[in-house]
Amino acid sequence: MRKTISLQRLIIGTVPLILIVLIWQYAVKSGAVSKNLLAAPTDIWNRLLVLLAKGYVEDIAVTLLRLLSGLGIATVLGITLGLAAALSRIGSRFVLSTVRLLAPVPKIAIYPALMLILGFGDTSKITLVAIEAVFPILLASYQGARMVEPKLIWWAMSSGASRPRIAWQIVLPAAVPSVLVGLRVAFIVSCVVVFLSEMISSKDGLGHVLILATRNYRTVDMFVTLLTISAIGLIGNLLIDWLRHRLQPGGR
Amino acid sequence: MNRLLSNAIWDIVCLIGIFILWQAASIAIGIEAFPTATQALVEVPKLLTSASDLADMWASLRRMLTGFVAACVIGIPIGLIMGRSQVVADVLNPVLMLIYPVPKAALTPLLMLWVGTGDFSKILVIVLGASVPLIYHSYQGGRDVAKNLIWSARAMGMSPPARLFRIVLPAAMPEILSGMRVGITMSLIVMVSSEIIGRQAGVGNILFNSLDMAIYPPVYGMIIIIGMIGFAVDLLFQQFQRSVVPWALPRKTGDDDATFMWS
Repeated sequence: MRKTISLQRLIIGTVPLILIVLIWQYAVKSGAVSKNLLAAPTDIWNRLLVLLAKGYVEDIAVTLLRLLSGLGIATVLGITLGLAAALSRIGSRFVLSTVRLLAPVPKIAIYPALMLILGFGDTSKITLVAIEAVFPILLASYQGARMVEPKLIWWAMSSGASRPRIAWQIVLPAAVPSVLVGLRVAFIVSCVVVFLSEMISSKDGLGHVLILATRNYRTVDMFVTLLTISAIGLIGNLLIDWLRHRLQPGGR
Repeated sequence: MNRLLSNAIWDIVCLIGIFILWQAASIAIGIEAFPTATQALVEVPKLLTSASDLADMWASLRRMLTGFVAACVIGIPIGLIMGRSQVVADVLNPVLMLIYPVPKAALTPLLMLWVGTGDFSKILVIVLGASVPLIYHSYQGGRDVAKNLIWSARAMGMSPPARLFRIVLPAAMPEILSGMRVGITMSLIVMVSSEIIGRQAGVGNILFNSLDMAIYPPVYGMIIIIGMIGFAVDLLFQQFQRSVVPWALPRKTGDDDATFMWS
C-alpha cells in the first residue's frame, strides 16, 4: 500500500517536470521563442558535450577546488566554534554575539574588500566561500551539541575526561547528524558564492565562462554554465542528505 | 528584558572587537588597498550625506522592497495552497527542489536579455530569490494547521476560499513571518550580489566607482553601510514579528534562518 502511494506521488512529481522540458523544447524548436533568448534542452546538452571536449572540465575543476577548499576551512572552523559555544559560557557569549552581528550581513559585499587585500586569484575566492559557509555549519554544530543528552556528558565528566576530550569523543559524534544539515546548506551557499565571485573578478572557472557567454551573446553557453553549477549544488545536496540518513541512528 | 540588554551589551563589545581587529590587521599589513577601520568609518557619514550616493542607495532599497513585496504576494498564496493540497504539493515540490540550488543573482545577465536592462530585470531577480523561502515556509505553515480548526470551519459551512483566508492564513502566520524574515534578508543579498555583478546601478555603482578610481576608503565605508542595512532590516523584522504574532514561541536561533540564506 505504501509503495503504490509513493509511486503515484513520484509520477505526479515527475510528469510536470517532463512536460516543462517538452514544452520548452517545442517552444524553441518551433520558433515561438527566439533561440537568442532561450536555448533548447537538446542544444544545451549537445553544447555541453562540445564544451567538455574543449576544456570545460578544467573550469569545473577550478571552481570545485575553490568550493571544496573554502568549505573545508568553514567546516573545521564552524564545528570548532560551534562546539566551543555550546560547551563554554564565555565562548557562547562571544560566538553567538558575533553570529548575531554578522549573519544578516550580505557576505558578498565583503568580496570587493577581499579582492583588494588578497588579490583576484584563488585566495580571495576561497576566503569568501569560507566566510559564507561558516555560519550555517557553526549554528548547526551549536544546536547539535546543545541537544546532546546531558547524562552522557555528566558520565564522561565523572570519569575524569577533559573538556576537549568530551567535546571530541562525546559531543561531536552525537552532533554529526545536525552538523550535516548545516553542511548541506553550506554546500549550496558555497556553490552560489564561488560562482558569483568568479563572475565578479572574472579570470577562470564556471562563473567566468558565464561572463564570456554574456559578452558574446551566446545564450546556450549561459544555460550550460547555470545548469552545471546548479547540478553541482543539487548533487552535493543529495549526497550529504544520503550520508545523513546513513549515519542517523535508526536510519537506513 | 534583562537577557536582551545583556545580549545587546555583548553585541556591542563584539562589534568593537571586530573593529579593533580590523584596525590592527590593517596597520600590520600596511597596504593602501586595506585602509584602517577608522579611515573607513569616517567615510560612512560622508557617503550618507552625498546626494548622488544617497540616490543610488535609495534606488537599490526601493528595488529590494518592491521585489520583496512582489515575492510575498506571489509566494505566500502558492505556499499555503501547497500546504492544503497534497496534489499541488506533489507537483511543485520537485520543481522547487530543482530551483533551490540555482544561483539567483547569476540569472541577472539572462533576465537582462529577456526583459531589458531596466529596473524590471533587477526587481525580477530579487522576486525569484525571495520567493523560494517564502513558498517553503508558507507551505510548512499551511501544512501544519491543526486539523480540528479546519473541520470546525467546514462544519460551520465556511467555503474553501474563506477557510484559506480566515483559518489557514492566521494559523500559519508565525511560520509565514519566519519565511518573510528570511525572504527580506534574501532580497538584500540578491540585490547586493546582482548589483555588484552589474556594477552600474545603485550600491554596486558606489562600490565600483571608487574602486575603479583607486580611492579605497569609500569602498570599505560602503561595505559597512551594507552591513548596517542587513543588521537593521533583520532587527526591525524581528520586532515586527514579535508585535504581529506575540503568541508564537521564540524561535530557536538559526534553525531555518540558516537554511534558506544563500544568494
